[in-house]
Amino acid sequence: MTEKRFLVYGGVAALLAVCPLFLNAYWTDVLNSIGLYAALGLSLNLIVGHAGLFNLGHAAFYAVGAYTAAILNTKFHIPILALMPLCGLTAGLFALLIARPIIHLRGDYLCIVTIGVGEIVRIALINNVFGITGGANGIFGIARPSLMGWVIRRPQEFFYLIWAFVALTVFLFHRLENSRFGRALNYLREDETAAEGSGIDTAHYKLMAFVLGAAWAGMVGNIYAAKMTIIAPESFSFWESVVMFTLIILGGSGSIPGVLLGAFLIVGLPEVFRGFTNARMMVFGAAMIAMMIFRTGGILPARPRRYELLKEEAAEEST
Amino acid sequence: MKKGLIALMALCLLVGGAMAAMADTVKIGLMGPMTGPWASEGQEMKQVLDLLAADLNAKGGVLGKKVEVIADDDGGDPRTAALAAQRLATQGIVAVIGTYGSSVTEATQNIYNESKILQIANGSTAIRLSEKGLKYFFRTCPRDDEQGRVAVQAIEKLGFKTVAILHDNTTYAKGLADEAKGLLEGKGIKIVFFDALTPGERDYTAILTKLKGANPDVVFFTGYYPEAGLLLRQKKEMNWNVPFIGGDATNNPDLVKIAGKDAAQGFYFLSAPLPKDLPSPEAKAFLDEFTKKYGNAPNSIYAVLAGDGFRVITAAIQATQSTDPDKLADYLHKELKEFAGLTGKIAFNEKGDRVGEVYRVYKVDAEGNFILQP
Amino acid sequence: MEEFFQQLTNGLAVGGIYALIALGYTMVYGVLKLINFAHGDLFTIGSYLGLTLLTSLFLSDRLGPGAGIVVLALMVMGLVALVGALLERVAYRPLRHSPRLSAVVSALGASIFFSNTLMLIYGARFQVYPQGILPKTAIDLFGLYVPLVRVLILGASVVMMIALYAFIQKTKIGTAIRAAAIDQDAARLMGIDVNRVILMVFLIGPALGGAAGLMVGLHYGQINFTMGWVYGLKAFTAAILGGIGNIPGAMVGGILLGVIEALGAAYLSIAWKDAIAFGVLIFILIVRPTGLLGERVAEKV
Repeated sequence: MTEKRFLVYGGVAALLAVCPLFLNAYWTDVLNSIGLYAALGLSLNLIVGHAGLFNLGHAAFYAVGAYTAAILNTKFHIPILALMPLCGLTAGLFALLIARPIIHLRGDYLCIVTIGVGEIVRIALINNVFGITGGANGIFGIARPSLMGWVIRRPQEFFYLIWAFVALTVFLFHRLENSRFGRALNYLREDETAAEGSGIDTAHYKLMAFVLGAAWAGMVGNIYAAKMTIIAPESFSFWESVVMFTLIILGGSGSIPGVLLGAFLIVGLPEVFRGFTNARMMVFGAAMIAMMIFRTGGILPARPRRYELLKEEAAEEST
Repeated sequence: MKKGLIALMALCLLVGGAMAAMADTVKIGLMGPMTGPWASEGQEMKQVLDLLAADLNAKGGVLGKKVEVIADDDGGDPRTAALAAQRLATQGIVAVIGTYGSSVTEATQNIYNESKILQIANGSTAIRLSEKGLKYFFRTCPRDDEQGRVAVQAIEKLGFKTVAILHDNTTYAKGLADEAKGLLEGKGIKIVFFDALTPGERDYTAILTKLKGANPDVVFFTGYYPEAGLLLRQKKEMNWNVPFIGGDATNNPDLVKIAGKDAAQGFYFLSAPLPKDLPSPEAKAFLDEFTKKYGNAPNSIYAVLAGDGFRVITAAIQATQSTDPDKLADYLHKELKEFAGLTGKIAFNEKGDRVGEVYRVYKVDAEGNFILQP
Repeated sequence: MEEFFQQLTNGLAVGGIYALIALGYTMVYGVLKLINFAHGDLFTIGSYLGLTLLTSLFLSDRLGPGAGIVVLALMVMGLVALVGALLERVAYRPLRHSPRLSAVVSALGASIFFSNTLMLIYGARFQVYPQGILPKTAIDLFGLYVPLVRVLILGASVVMMIALYAFIQKTKIGTAIRAAAIDQDAARLMGIDVNRVILMVFLIGPALGGAAGLMVGLHYGQINFTMGWVYGLKAFTAAILGGIGNIPGAMVGGILLGVIEALGAAYLSIAWKDAIAFGVLIFILIVRPTGLLGERVAEKV
């Protein structure tokens, strides 16, 4: 079972690794975009898929990370990739600050609050809050990232940076899923009352998941800023949050392969549909409905967990 | 799913094959917002370029080859635009026309520059775009500082003493508003109001009520025509008769349709001269042909400016007998002078900015016509 | 003080429209626990259909201005209701027993589909309603200058809301809707045809949304294919503010949101207007986690 999965992951990774050798700059850049959204999706998956929190404002944390990187890089000339942990930290702290009073809200109320936070952040960025975000212009002139003296510039080079980050994310989140923390999250998503009854501090775990997911999005924001070299508020609109949310549900909420596939579909399909020119988004909308109807639980839904008992009897616990 | 995927791949192959078959053409890219909130701009840019290319090809094309316009959608957002630019850059284009928004253009500048593709922006007026020393970047629209200067001149000339400035927090509108504010204050004209509305809404009465409270001699709105039209209309409904001046993004016949003739009457705006006010036979002919082909005159001055970008680059290819980007860039920077564009004489300075006085002041008359002010 | 009241009337007119759209969100949510993100686009469809019918049928010429508008409104409401029912049948019914968030994604897909279809049919340019259909007179209200149209719009919204409230409270099908909102399974056991209830909800909500779209077209004159997104988001906010699933709550939330926006723009900052509105919303939810009129129900997420 795990061996098979290892083979699949390894095969996909190997296939991806040679992609830039065959693809032109455009398709490589599409893959880069997919990679960024895959990492964002995985971070949001922790919040939506595992903790079951309806978050439609994830772009806010992504923005905090990106702006942290951009401001410190342009003002103090700190190499941008070195700022990555700090970006995660600021996004995480920001998430902690706002999630603390609202984490107890249920379902759709939490949804509108996260939308609200996302909009407030975007409006604050546009209005040049504290005089450091550059207003609608955004921040430009971000230095190209370099890794051990190698300046990363071309899409092919970014490809390896981004997908290495995605691989790291997959590895860490896979470990997390099977940790005590991951199990607790799934328990409280399935039945909060029962989880609480079993001695799980639900508010604490939800908050942890929220902050961790946000911090990870902040780190992706760093890579985004490094790649674009210019960031502007419209890159962090409500629509971005919707895209991240959609790719999770479409691919399979709570499932890492599902989220990866979701990123390929949500970011890749509009590119494939470019042939339809003006109709491309209409086709895309119809495709979204169709995919949801034919695979209601997402395309690659999370598999029920299986635990082998030490003795002969094998017990199943479905998640 | 699987069948669909196969069909899609087949489609891609088909499209790819068709492109290979038409290899011997001079390719000009067009990057514009074909979807999203500014879709009308992008789609009209494409109409203009299609028309001009068909015209040129009927006359034999350039270098003995047909010109082919390859359009791609930037969605009006920087990330999509970066992808569109990468895609265009791999299609063997000599130059790209576009795009509309300044931050959208900015996200693509490096990609084109590194691929040595000439970029001629048509609506991106932010000052900094041409301050980076990019060799292959040009634009047919003027910069915000130029427009700010003309706006302040007009306000001074009309004798207004207190001004309210309203923008919409887009890169363009904010840039113009800031520019104008600085210049006006330098001339001792008082700014009694400076704030931004949220574009895309329908009801601006709250803002108008607040503006009225500030009691300005004139309101300078630096945003776009849909909001300008609504502001004029609702101002009229409020029975408030203050003059309004708009930036060049308010120049669109739809403004009058939205506001209504009686509300739009007396509205001043800045713009590059409209095609109808250009004496050149090129502009007249273009206008007639466009109307004949699409049923209406072009709505957006930016679409016409995209047309000028196309005309300039094809003229440069013809003059240099080459599609070498360095030769073309040199030609545009140094040789091209007094080119008869659709929007007036065109020449570029060493930064790639258009030189010369471009802006004029227009006023809307009782019939909703745009009248050039002396 | 005069400015305050002027801003209040500005806010009321905007709020009336929000409330009308919010009703569609709240009714669907009440019965299906689904946030119908395509509802804003049904509103847009209403304004486009209104424009088409207005310019092709010349109703006000044939029936006179008053009757013409009423007939037009009924036609638009009927057509948008049909679209709403179709949407439910195609995009939501197959997902009724799947995870809730799947239906949300289907709704988002429907929203993208609708707005881009409108763009393909009508073009990307702003469309403009013909002028002079509604009277341009203004009334003097204690020294306040209020265009008559705004009073009419607020009046029409309130009348429709009261009618809906009476319908939900007094009629048999209204009772069935309320029953299904409380407990679908129990309602089914009591012999209520839940499918019919859901169909009703998807007829009434979109009809009101379509009416709101027509009013926006008639009053503001300018419509485009993306406007449903902004109005939809605001109306959804209003529904939550009042307590989602609660019909009077949507009315109160809508009106309140309109007023908050107007006063926020007037006394704090225009550019921060939406941020202020969301800030107030978050504050209210922290203090009252189920919205203003929402009841505290144990809900499984």
